[in-house]
This record gives sequence, structure tokens and C-alpha cells, in this order.
Amino acid sequence: MDFSLTEQQEMLRLSARGFLSTECPKARVRELDRDEKGYDPHLWHRMAELGWLGLVFPEEYGGMAGSFLDLTILMEEMGRNLVPVPFFSTIALCALPLLEYGTPEQKKRFLPQIAKGEAIWTLALLESSGKYEAAEIRLKAVLRDKNYLIHGRKLFVPDAHIADYILVAARTEESKRLEDGITLFIVDAKAPNMKIDIMPTIGGNKQCRVSFDRVRAHEDSIVGTASDGWQVLDFILQRAAVLKCAEASGACQAILDMANSYAKERIQFDRPIGSFQAIQHRLADMLIEVEAVQYLLYQAAWGISVGLPSRWQISAAKAKANQVFQQICIHAIGIHGAIGYTMDHDVGLYYRRAKAMEFAGGDSDIHREIVASELGL
Amino acid sequence: MNFGLSQKELTLREEIRRFAQAELPPGWRRTTLIDGECRDFDFEVSMSRKLAQRGWLVMSWPEQYGGRDASLMEQTVYEMEVAYWGIPGALMGISGTQWVGPCLMLFGTEEQKKKYLPLIASGEKDGIWCTGYSEPNAGSDFANIRTRAVKEGDNYIINGQKIWTSAAHRARWCWLAARTDFNVAKKHHGISIFIVDMKSPGVTVNPILNYYGRHHFNEVFFDNVEVPVSNLVGEENRGWYLLMQSLAFERRSIAPMTYGNFKWVLEQLIEYANQTKYKSRLLSQNPMFRNKLAELAIDLETLKLFAFQVAWRIGRGEIPVYESSRNKIMSDEVMKRVAIVGAEILGIYSQADPDSEWAQMNGAVHGAYLGFPGQAIAAGTAEVEKSIIAQFKLGLPKSY
Repeated sequence: MDFSLTEQQEMLRLSARGFLSTECPKARVRELDRDEKGYDPHLWHRMAELGWLGLVFPEEYGGMAGSFLDLTILMEEMGRNLVPVPFFSTIALCALPLLEYGTPEQKKRFLPQIAKGEAIWTLALLESSGKYEAAEIRLKAVLRDKNYLIHGRKLFVPDAHIADYILVAARTEESKRLEDGITLFIVDAKAPNMKIDIMPTIGGNKQCRVSFDRVRAHEDSIVGTASDGWQVLDFILQRAAVLKCAEASGACQAILDMANSYAKERIQFDRPIGSFQAIQHRLADMLIEVEAVQYLLYQAAWGISVGLPSRWQISAAKAKANQVFQQICIHAIGIHGAIGYTMDHDVGLYYRRAKAMEFAGGDSDIHREIVASELGL
Repeated sequence: MNFGLSQKELTLREEIRRFAQAELPPGWRRTTLIDGECRDFDFEVSMSRKLAQRGWLVMSWPEQYGGRDASLMEQTVYEMEVAYWGIPGALMGISGTQWVGPCLMLFGTEEQKKKYLPLIASGEKDGIWCTGYSEPNAGSDFANIRTRAVKEGDNYIINGQKIWTSAAHRARWCWLAARTDFNVAKKHHGISIFIVDMKSPGVTVNPILNYYGRHHFNEVFFDNVEVPVSNLVGEENRGWYLLMQSLAFERRSIAPMTYGNFKWVLEQLIEYANQTKYKSRLLSQNPMFRNKLAELAIDLETLKLFAFQVAWRIGRGEIPVYESSRNKIMSDEVMKRVAIVGAEILGIYSQADPDSEWAQMNGAVHGAYLGFPGQAIAAGTAEVEKSIIAQFKLGLPKSY
């Protein structure tokens, strides 16, 4: 076993940390919270220039041929700063499945655009139940000649309001096995008969309702095989869970650092509150939980990187991160006292984002259920 | 990064599995091996001897002292696996293999190393140690110890009382902390470490039964016990550093053992839930139990990663500071959660005597339920460990 990063990975981490702390201060994040678009196009282009958008693409598509573990490390740094760019939507939810399941034409056409920061993508998956389950995909696509007509509604679609393309999970066939009959389409987000509205959330990060009224999608726009789309979605969900977990891991570390620094500065009863065991033990508990998330995360990301079946490890990491992120925020607000409950302080911003982190990439119930099944229960 | 075991480590695990299947009686009853002790002492020693013959008992020690220069990673795999199978005698009453030996290698004289290390490595009764740290007024505030050692000629004369001394009734030697100087500015100065022959005149061992009637720890009295000066370990009055080092060694080994032991218990619980019906539905189909067992598995996985991370750091020549405390806390949490969730799954039968026919799974959960509150105190309470993390990792002021 080896818990260390390679020299290159260390460099990636340090340079990402340095870049994001100067280019993306929290004040800017909070400002974009209230912005209609909610993302920073300038930052997005700078990230493209740094090669981050194509980090895991082969060189022929304008990428840097990095590993999934590299991507995880980068994502952790982005989570630390709550970076307001559609990176997760574009890369984790769409570019990774395009790389794995896309046709050569699709890859050639779309991946270089993504690497250059010229196209924003997202995945429209969830419907009214909000559950990551095959049975919950009800939106229909009906074949008419060479075109499918997509009709129905998707909810909680991240960044759809700024997207150029949307991957849509639709039911194309009714079959007994609910995993069968699902197809994944690439749809132009500006296509006629589509309506995109923002669903206001406590996190301020943008999620949308996307309504399809007989929207046309050509056969060529299918990713993977028609009616076998669950395979692609399963691939996406495993990676999305890990990368969301990475964001949460970075965010947790940031919150712990914030609470620990505050405990050293804040004087009450003539001494720093961090000298009291009630505060110390709370911080120690937080540290243990944050490290638990980190190691579970790295194990899962490593497994994907080297191509091992990692379903169990992935779900363990995400279920843990969901629980810990929320708990860490609550502890940190408690340590900060009233200032932590204000609009001016960062800690509340993280807390408001906790729910978005929890449900993106699968909620705790779903991941614990996967763990239970894998345990043989 | 790499989270896989090496071929060598996988082979070792397989060898231990085969050893356990060949050497343990069918239906081996483990009850509470978290006490590290089996009730058939002769059987326990026979197993220590066999483990020693295979070169496993102290595998990470240098060959010259009876080990086989194994990595700490291999040692961790060994600890996980012997705990998983419940092989008794794997720790020889704990002290000798886990911290006396490693501390002697760091701080002992050549003569001490030559005399005591091979004894421990042999797996024989004469290699069993106990550790004399706690006293009635020196628990978490351990620097408070009053047991005194006064130098007279070629001997130290030791007077005082130790308490909660695990395995003192089995041990041939005691790794003893005593005060050699009372006139010190700070009370953790003036402490020294001695090797005491438990057969010395003036040593009295009285059993203390734990709340479920097991004899695991003792009180030990020292009444004018003569100890040769050659049995002082390290420098006089500078024992505190050795103590801290020994506690770090002790805390390191807890996580792998707890992981192995409770991985077995969790597997038993899963099997039980897959076979037991309530209202014509298997317990394993009850979403509440599925959820809880999944959470336990995630906690155990965390403990495993923590255990390997410490072994990895030490293997790189680094000294883990707060990690051993972190792992101790996590071990205690895992024990507690498995015991409590396990008892919930067993329902009303969770109150059965672990030795009775009413206790499912050979009393594994019952033993854990009885044992965990005590284990959580040994080697440092959660409160002490959290204060260590706060001070040494988070950089907060010392608070005790």
C-alpha cells in the first residue's frame, strides 16, 4: 500500500490550490451565488488554458492524458473553494461517458470543444422522485423514422441554464427489467421546444427544471447503445459519486481549517476558546471524520484509476462524505457562534451547499443500499 | 497511491488462514477475544509457541532477536488476520510483543536485548510480560505515579502499588514505571522504567474481576522488591519519553486487531440476518438493518485504512504523532457501534450469557457488548486521545 501522491500529483494539487485561492476568493463565490448565471466565465476559460478541462482526455482531443486519480485531486481543490464553474456537470457527468462510450465522431466533435472551454454540458437524469434509480426514469423518447421525440420533464439538472448540450436519460422501451429500455441522448440545449427554468435552492448553485415538448434527437446523438443506456448511467454515477465526494472532501478540510483558526483567535473568558476541551474535542472529532472521508475517497478513486471493480468502495466513500460534510458544517457553525450564522461569513455558504453535495452523485440511502447489497445482505 | 496488498502480504494472509483452520478446534469458541485472552491458558501458550515457530509472533523484529525482518505492513496484515480468526496467544499477553520488545530495541542495553527479546520471540511462558503503569491515583493523569524506586548499592528497592495490570497473573516480567525522583519541577520528570522479575520476593498479585466476572486485570503490590540496577531501561529519571513511545506502539496495534476481530463479528451478523426471519421476512430484508449494517461496514473500512496508513508512515521512517490516537478513538467507536447494532439485531437474546446455548454466534456480539466499555478506557480514554489530537495535530493549547 502507498498513501502518497506522485510528484506530479503534488504539483497539480499545489498549483490548483494556489491558483484558486487567488483567482477565486470566497467573496466572488458569494457574489455569484446571487448572480443569474451563477458562474464565472473568465475563470472557466483560465481553467481551460491550464489544461484542467481536458485533464483526463487523450492528447488527440486536446487533453493531458491524466488519470482519474489526478482528476480527483483537482476536484478536491475545487471543492475546497466552492469554485463557481460548471466543471462537475461538464466533465464528471458528460465528458467521462463521452470518452468511454462515445462514437469516434462524437468524441472528435465534442471533446476538443470541451477541453477548450467552448462548450458547457450537463446531464438530465432525475425526475420527480429525485432518486438515482433506473425505475425512476420515466421521461419518454419515441422513435419516428430516424429521429426520436423526447417528451417529459427533468428536475435538479445542474447548470442546464448555461449549458450548450444536455445528455438526457430517456425511456425508449418498456421492459420488465427496469434497467432495460433506457437510452442516453445528446440534445442541443438551445433546441426548439425546450424550456429551462432555475429551481431556486438554498445553496444558490444553479439547478434547473428542463421541460421537453417533443424535442427531436437524431439516432446519431445516442451515447452508447439504444435501450442499454443504464450501463452508461451506472458508469457515470460511479464516477460522479467519487468526484462529488472529492469536492466534499476538499470542502470539509476548508471548513475544519476555518473552525480551527477561529478557535485559536476568538478570546472568551480571557483565553482562546480553542483552549477549552469542549471545543478541542469537537475539533478532534471533526478531524477524524474528515480524514475518514479522505482515505475512503482516495481508495475509491485509485480503484477506478487502475480499473478495479470499486462499486463498494465508491459507495462507502460517498455515503460517508454525505454524512460528514453536513456534520462538519454544523460543528463549525457552532464553534464560530453567531458570526457563523451571518451572510458575511463563509461557513454558512458551505452549510447551504451541503444538501447539493449530498444529492449530487447519489444520496446516502442509495449508497448504503449498494454497500448492503455488496455485503451480501 | 496504491490501496492493494502485495503478493507477499496476500500470501501471508492465506498462510494464516490455513494455520487457523488446521490448528484451532472445530467450532472454536471465541467469546471476548478483545480481552486478548483465552480461558485455557495452556492452549493459549501452545498457540503462541506455534506462531513463534512459524516466525510470525514478532515478525517485524530483526532476525537476530527472533523475528524475520518483516515490514510493518506485513505485521499489520498479520494482526488483522489473527484477530479475524481469533487465534489465541498471538499477542502473548500483549505487552511483550507489542511494546516491551520494540522499546527495548530502541532504548535497552545490549545485555537486555540479548536476554529478553529472544524470550518474548520464543512464545514460551517465560516471555510473557505485564505492564505496571496505572496506579490508584494515576489513571489518565499518569505522571502522578507514586510507586518509588530507591537506589541502594547494586539494586533499586521498589515500593508501591499498581492497578488494572492486565495479565499480571500470567506474566513472568513486569515493565514497570516508578518514580526515582520526587523533587522535580514537573511531575513527568523523575520517572524511570524497570524490568521486574515477577517471581521476586515482595511482589503480590491480587485479581480484580471485571463486571462480568472475568479475571483479566489485577492489582500488584511491590513491597521492598529488589531489582538489579542492570534492569533499569534507558536513563534514570527520563522514563517519560519511553512511556510515550510505548503508548504509541500500543495504540498502533489496537486498530488492526480491532479491525480483524470486528470484521469477523460483522460477517457473523450478516449471516445471521440472512438466515433469521421475523414476520416471514428475513432480517436482512429490513431496510433499517440493511442501512445500519452498511454503516458499520463503512466504519470498519475506515478503520482498516487508518490502520494501514499508520503502518505505511512508520514504514517510511516517519513517526506518527496524532494518528495512533485517531486510530484508538476509531477502534473504540467501531467496537461500540458493532456491539450496539449487533445487540439490536439479536433483540431480546442479546442479554443471554455469552457462554450459554442462548447466545447466538458463539457469543461474539454479547462479548463485544460486555467488553467495549472497558476496552475504550484501556491505553487512553477517548477524552485523553482527543486532547492529544487537539494539541499535536490541531496546534491548540494544552488543556490538561
